[in-house]
Formats: sequence, structure tokens, C-alpha cells
Amino acid sequence: MSFAADFPKDSAFNKAKARYFATPTDAVVSALFAAFAVWILWSLANWALLHAVFGANQRDACMATEGACWSVVSTRWRIVLFGLYPFEEQWRSAIACVVMVVVAALSCVPWFWSARRLPPLWIAGFAIFYVLMRGGWFGLREVTEQNWGGLSLTIFIFAAVSLLGMPLAIVFALLRRSDLPWIARTMALVIDVIRSLPLLSIMFTFAIVMPFVLPDWAIGDKLYRVIVGYALFFACYQAEIIRGGMQALPAGQEEAAKALGLTYWHRIGYIVLPQAFRNALPPTINQFVITFKETSLVTIIGFFDVMASGRAASGNADWNFATIEMYVFVALIFFVFVFTLSRYGAYLERRLGVGRR
Amino acid sequence: MSEPAIRIASMNKYYGNFHALKDIDLTVAPGEKVVICGPSGSGKSTLIRCINRLEEHQSGTIAVMGTVLDDNVDHIDEIRRDAGMVFQNFNLFPHMTVLENCTLAPVLARKIDRAEAEATAMKYLERVKIPEQAHKYPGELSGGQQQRVAIARALCMSPKIMLFDEPTSALDPEMISEVLDVMVGLAQEGMTMVCVTHEMGFARQVADRVIFMADGEIIEQGSPAEFFNNPRNERAKAFLSQVLGH
Repeated sequence: MSFAADFPKDSAFNKAKARYFATPTDAVVSALFAAFAVWILWSLANWALLHAVFGANQRDACMATEGACWSVVSTRWRIVLFGLYPFEEQWRSAIACVVMVVVAALSCVPWFWSARRLPPLWIAGFAIFYVLMRGGWFGLREVTEQNWGGLSLTIFIFAAVSLLGMPLAIVFALLRRSDLPWIARTMALVIDVIRSLPLLSIMFTFAIVMPFVLPDWAIGDKLYRVIVGYALFFACYQAEIIRGGMQALPAGQEEAAKALGLTYWHRIGYIVLPQAFRNALPPTINQFVITFKETSLVTIIGFFDVMASGRAASGNADWNFATIEMYVFVALIFFVFVFTLSRYGAYLERRLGVGRR
Repeated sequence: MSEPAIRIASMNKYYGNFHALKDIDLTVAPGEKVVICGPSGSGKSTLIRCINRLEEHQSGTIAVMGTVLDDNVDHIDEIRRDAGMVFQNFNLFPHMTVLENCTLAPVLARKIDRAEAEATAMKYLERVKIPEQAHKYPGELSGGQQQRVAIARALCMSPKIMLFDEPTSALDPEMISEVLDVMVGLAQEGMTMVCVTHEMGFARQVADRVIFMADGEIIEQGSPAEFFNNPRNERAKAFLSQVLGH
């Protein structure tokens, strides 16, 4: 530190010198790593940009170059986004997808954070999505859930799981800390049992086993059963996250609310949950990120989410040499969503002033 | 004689096997100011917290403004609205502004119109001399200011009784008097008050009666003059020499 003090000027050059070239050993290590980084970036740029083939249907050009074959993406991107959805109806899937993203974006705006605005927004969002995707009304051709796929399916599953799972998580967390011991213990057991099961086995159970157990009217489509199972799994994890946020509250908060004559639901709704969510924000965002990524597991029960669709898109004889490029494209899609989510989490943290107390 | 503000008869409280409060009998008349003191662990906080069911008592009777405290949630809510409470650690809601802290319960529990609740809140914030802090968050205020907000918040529910649980114990010394001033003002206006406190100057100035507790029992009670000048019980004498000794 005293070394840095020798340089009165806080210029970038001096800072870099102090940080990376303070001693001869530092200088050698820094230079080596810099050279290595440049080499990696150069190779990457060579492959991804300079020698790459971008245009659609240029399989032959792809075969001739050592660069990336983005042609596979520009030729077959529709499969990634829409899966098995009938080609001429894919505009419906696109609009449905956009509607979902817009609804999700709107519900991130603080103005919508009220019991009067959020539920109608999401009910409208899901209704539009369902009508567009499923069809059968307004002269739209019917497309059953089995043929939904790609990004629209991934977003739909994620939104539905979050929206079913979050209220369920709150209920679980409240039951888990009930004053009645047998309720609290039963809930704890249920949470522990579900958390100890792999998500895959839960999805499998809900997709395959449930139809044998449930009465006919309650079976529904496989897609919705899987969503319910996934929501249950989400709720158990999220319930523990919320409970952690509640435990971080000083006991005096609830006592003060009691002393003011607030009822149980007022105490929960106005004092406990808002502060619990603020405390639990980082792990909650984490949970959403994991949930978004694990939607890919639905492929195991025969749904083509964005991941499986990507694999299918590069999986035919014509394009199977360009699998890596297709995976990069799918990774990019995941990155855009997950990165947006985590930036939004950072914004929320600032807005709610987690550090303030 | 009119109904007492608080009536406690042969009340017992246990924590597991530990007998925390033993056979407590205490009647507080409307308008009376009672100060409860005693060494730590003597059960004074537990006693005051039993009055509004922050702690549950196991036997005996507690009645506040004629409402008997039992397991009926309506009775508990009614008593809590009649008896305002001020805590040692203020317990303001950190995610709400000072004004929101003061209007939350009137709007939700008393169903008072928001504008009216805000007017009332401003009136009480002026009374505790911090109307200019109304739109700040509790974390931005000093301890003394927070405690005055906590008093205003309790007053906004128009309580008939005020319970103070060591209201100055968590404060820096220079902030104690600003809180005590507010409490003295409240006493002079005729509020029924039960205060657990070690502020003996306050007790001398406003109390009608001082109650001394030790080991979960009321050992001695009397007027401040009697109690401070002429304590009868040995433990009260020892306690007084400790708190007044320097």
C-alpha cells in the first residue's frame, strides 16, 4: 500500500503499474497472463467472427471453413424458438412469447406491485398466451400442448411455475412456523421429503404415475401436471428461503405489530413478509435463476424446451457437425434471460435498501 | 367506584417449570401513573407484557378497561387497541416512513380514513416535537427521536392506557431527557400509565405509586415519598442504594 502512496497522481497508468507491475515477479506473471488472454481472445474472434459463415443455408461454405458455422442458427433458429409448433402457425407462438415477456417485464415495475394490479395482469397474460398457443377459438387452428416447444415453452413453464410456486411457498413458510406444533412439524416433514427428491423424479412421477392415481377429471394435460409438480418443488425450496428471511427479523417487530392491535394477516402482510422478502432477496433471485435453467429437465418426459429444440435443430444429418454453434446460441438465450434476472435482482436490492436499518 | 383501568388478580406465569410471576395482585385506577421497578430478572417486564398478551399467563385474571383477557382473539385485539405499548428497542417498522409507522394501525385496525389518520399522526408527531421527520425512515433518526416516534405511534391508536417497557434503557444518556419530557407531558394530561423504568427521578416526579418487584413477586408498593424515603423491605433498600447511590 505504501508503494501506491509514492505516486501522487492517480492516473490509470500509475494504478496499473502499482497493481500489476509492482515487483519483477508481478510483472512477469502479469505479462504471461495478458499474453494468454490475448491469445484466447484472438483465437475466439478468429473462430466466431473472422472465419465464420453467417448466412442461411450455407452448409457447403461451412464445410470449407475452419471458423464457426452460424449458418446452422440462421437456417434453423425457428426450431429453437418454436420447437414442434406447426411452421405456418409460428407467428402465434412468437406473439405469445412476447406477451409473456412483456407481462413479466411489467410486473417488475413497482407501479404494478399491488394486489389489485398484479393478478389481473398475469391472468390476462396467461389467457392470451393460452388462447394463442392452444387455438381452437377465433378461427385459430388447434395446436395441442404436445406440440408446443422451444423458447415459448420454456418461458411458459418458468412463468407458470414461479406464479404457482411463490404463493404456495408463502403458505408453506407460514405453516412451517405455525404456533400449532403438529402443523409446523407436518409441514417441515413435507418440505424435507420433497426437497430430498430429485426434480427429475418429481417430474416423472407427476407426468407418468399421477394419471393412475388421480380421478379422470383431475388428470389434465401432462404439461400442466409437470408444472404443478415443479411448482411444488419450487415452493419447498422457496418456503425455506422465506422462512430464513423471517427468522432474520427481530422478535420485536411482530410484538410491536401485535401491541398495535394488528390482526395476524395484517402483521404477516404489512410487517413480516415485506421485511422477510427484503432479507431473502439474494437467495430468492438465485432460486428463480435455478428454476429457469432447470426447465430444461422437461425434455425427459418428452417436451421440447429451448435446450432440447436446439439439440434437435442441429441433430439431423445435414447439420450435425455444427452442434457446438447451436449450443452457443442456446447458451446465449439462457444468458440473456438469466443475466437480465440477476441485474433486476441487483436493482431491487438497491431500491429496497437492504443495507438500511 | 368506576371500573379500574387494569385489574390483575392472583395471576401466575410460568416458563416451563420456572415460576416467573407469583400470585400477582394489582389494580390500576383510570388516570393513575404506576412505576414498576426492581432488579433485573424480577419479572417486571414479563408482568407488563402479560397485560397485552405478548406473554401468556397461566392462571388468575387480567382485565383491561373491563375486558377480561382470555383466549378469545377479539378480546385480545380489543385490549391491545386500548393499551398502547412502548418498547425498550423502539421496534419501529424499518421499511416504512415515520408517518406510515404512525398511520398503519389506525387505518388497518381502527378503519380510520387515511387522510384523517395522517392528520392525527402529524398532531402527535408535533406533540413529540418531530413533525419535520415525518417522511424519513426510522433508520435515519437518532435513538431518542425513534423512541418519541414510537410513543407517537402508540398514541395514534387513541389508547386509554400506555404501557412503557424500559423506554429509556437503550438510549444514549444525552437522549434520555427528551423521551422523559414527552412522558411527563403525557402524565400531566391525565393518561393512565404503567412504566417499567429505572429512572427514579421520573418516578418521583410523576408516579402516584411505585411498585417494587423481586423474584416474580410484588414485594413493596407505596407513594414515591414513602418508597424512596422510607423503604421497609431489605431488598428494596439494597436496590435503592444501588440505583440512587451515585
